[in-house]
Amino acid sequence: MATTAVTSAGIASEAPRSDFGRILAQRERRFAAALLAPAFLALLATTTFPLLFLVYTSAFRMDLAMPFTNGFVGFENYQVLLSDDRFWTSLLVSLVYTGSTVALQVIIGLALALLVMDMKRGQGWFRVIAILPVVLSPAVVGMIWRTFMLAPEFGIVDFLAINAGLGSKNWLGDPTLAMVSVIAIHTWQWTPFAFMVLLASLASLPEDIYEAARLDRASAWQRFRRITLPLLRPAIVMVIIMRTMVALTAFAAIFTVTAGGPGTATEILNLYAYRKSFTELSIGYGSALAVALLIVTIIISGILFAMRRAK
Amino acid sequence: MSGQGQVSFRNIVKLHGQFAALKNVNFDIKPGEFFALLGPSGSGKSTTLRILAGLDAPTTGRVMIDDKDVTSTDARDRDIAMVFQSYALYPHMTVAENIAFPLEMAKLPKSEIAPAVKDAARKVKIDHLLDRKPGQLSGGQQQRCALARAIVRKARLFLLDEPLSNLDAKLRLETRAELKKLQRSLGVTAVYVTHDQEEAMTLADRMAVFMSGEIQQVGTPAEVFARPNSIDIAGFIGNPPMNLVPARYVDGDVIIAGHRLKTTATTAVERDVVVGLRPGALRMTEGGLGARVDLIEDLGDTAVLDLDCAGTMIRMRVADGNIPGEGDTISITARPQDIHLFDPATRMRL
Repeated sequence: MATTAVTSAGIASEAPRSDFGRILAQRERRFAAALLAPAFLALLATTTFPLLFLVYTSAFRMDLAMPFTNGFVGFENYQVLLSDDRFWTSLLVSLVYTGSTVALQVIIGLALALLVMDMKRGQGWFRVIAILPVVLSPAVVGMIWRTFMLAPEFGIVDFLAINAGLGSKNWLGDPTLAMVSVIAIHTWQWTPFAFMVLLASLASLPEDIYEAARLDRASAWQRFRRITLPLLRPAIVMVIIMRTMVALTAFAAIFTVTAGGPGTATEILNLYAYRKSFTELSIGYGSALAVALLIVTIIISGILFAMRRAK
Repeated sequence: MSGQGQVSFRNIVKLHGQFAALKNVNFDIKPGEFFALLGPSGSGKSTTLRILAGLDAPTTGRVMIDDKDVTSTDARDRDIAMVFQSYALYPHMTVAENIAFPLEMAKLPKSEIAPAVKDAARKVKIDHLLDRKPGQLSGGQQQRCALARAIVRKARLFLLDEPLSNLDAKLRLETRAELKKLQRSLGVTAVYVTHDQEEAMTLADRMAVFMSGEIQQVGTPAEVFARPNSIDIAGFIGNPPMNLVPARYVDGDVIIAGHRLKTTATTAVERDVVVGLRPGALRMTEGGLGARVDLIEDLGDTAVLDLDCAGTMIRMRVADGNIPGEGDTISITARPQDIHLFDPATRMRL
């Protein structure tokens, strides 16, 4: 950089006219860099540095309960991790949680978007009401569901279950039901996001190609399958990517509803890392778990972005 | 060909709220005919085409195809192919996939689809572009792709909604001629919507001229040109259109700017009329209607003169080599059979 700057400046002084544009571009680049620098440094300090520090910590035994054992251990934390059943269970829970919530969000969101597209009036109201769950804090959503919706006897869901003849269920105490519940909560909160994105995308599709498809004798299902779905594909993939990233790192809603319980039934990897680090105070191993989550997230997003590029 | 392609519109009315887009439209199209729906924008020609396609339903009235009432039949089941003004190509499919789409929907075996697609693409000269996406095609190529998609299925009716309006002038002329040849060779019934009277005149076997939601005249281009039914059609057809001059009718003659012209009419009355004179039907003569040449538009082989006849503007077409100078005063006349008479109140032909 520095040498090219010097040489181009030298040439410019010899032939000022021909290189005027180049100097201008260079000045502009410097100015742009100066403008970018504060934001870049802030990002570096708040995201890149902690991330590197996390990786660094994961190479140490850092046990606040037994500080006398602390010290550099290299890859020991990762060796422990690979033979840790609870890690594999939490990874599985994470994947099930992510896979099912994202799939449900896309399917329900797309179905809602298709329905609302056909609404002659009231679309605006529907959108306002639909967006409400998204603006709530996940912790608040968790509290609402734990008390209002899922509390035995008094919760709306339990009340409906009793009236439907299913009987009162222990929604958050039973391992399977607890998992279903946290999946339902996340889906409830974030489906409107998928719905909004897909609705906007649907609204931008040209009307005339549907008329052409009708004249080409495509049925409603064929029009959906052959035209709507392929044209919505970029939006759907975008929603999947964004929602997968968030679901993999979900925390607050599960923490407030079940805190990972009963037992480890709803303990996603994120929660396990949190429990290890801040409940058991084993910061080094907790860091290794967080790095593992980071690697999983990078792999999955890599696959998703490859999907996006693919035809 | 899967059918005959005979079309009848019976008392079709289309209301958009209070606004009547179509007020009682009736016409018949014969099998194999190239039929144009001509009219200015907003006259109802596109609405008519959409009702025929089944994309819109009429408020009242019946649509018959091959003597069957299809008014409430869905567009899917009418066996109609259409070329949209916007082309309406499927943006995510290649040209080949676009053309194959109607055949796939008809559940044709793959072995028959591929040659049919090739054949249709060759007919419109885009067989070298089959692997491209619509976004990679020029406007003219997209238009051909839309044409190929429409002809590949051999539907009984072939609808075209201003298919040439998005092409540049040179391409439009070329495609116009090809379209006519294509329709002839396929022998299919074609219904063609256009606001360009020249397109309708050159392409159509017969045409219906729309004015504010009504058909004012149906006939061959020659008939409509020779005997326009109303002042509005007279002012719409022809380039430049017919001169329409207010005049006085007295016992078989019309008096324009104090000059008497003989007509073919024989009724012995005196009344106000509107006289229609085609620019090409006017002749220079001795002792005719005096006119000053205001402006000359030289078109090469002919020229159009803007004449001032005692305050009335009249346009006249003259052959090359016979052009007066600007500011000259000339004297013009027209043969009795070239003088059209219209009623200024009803605006209809007398």
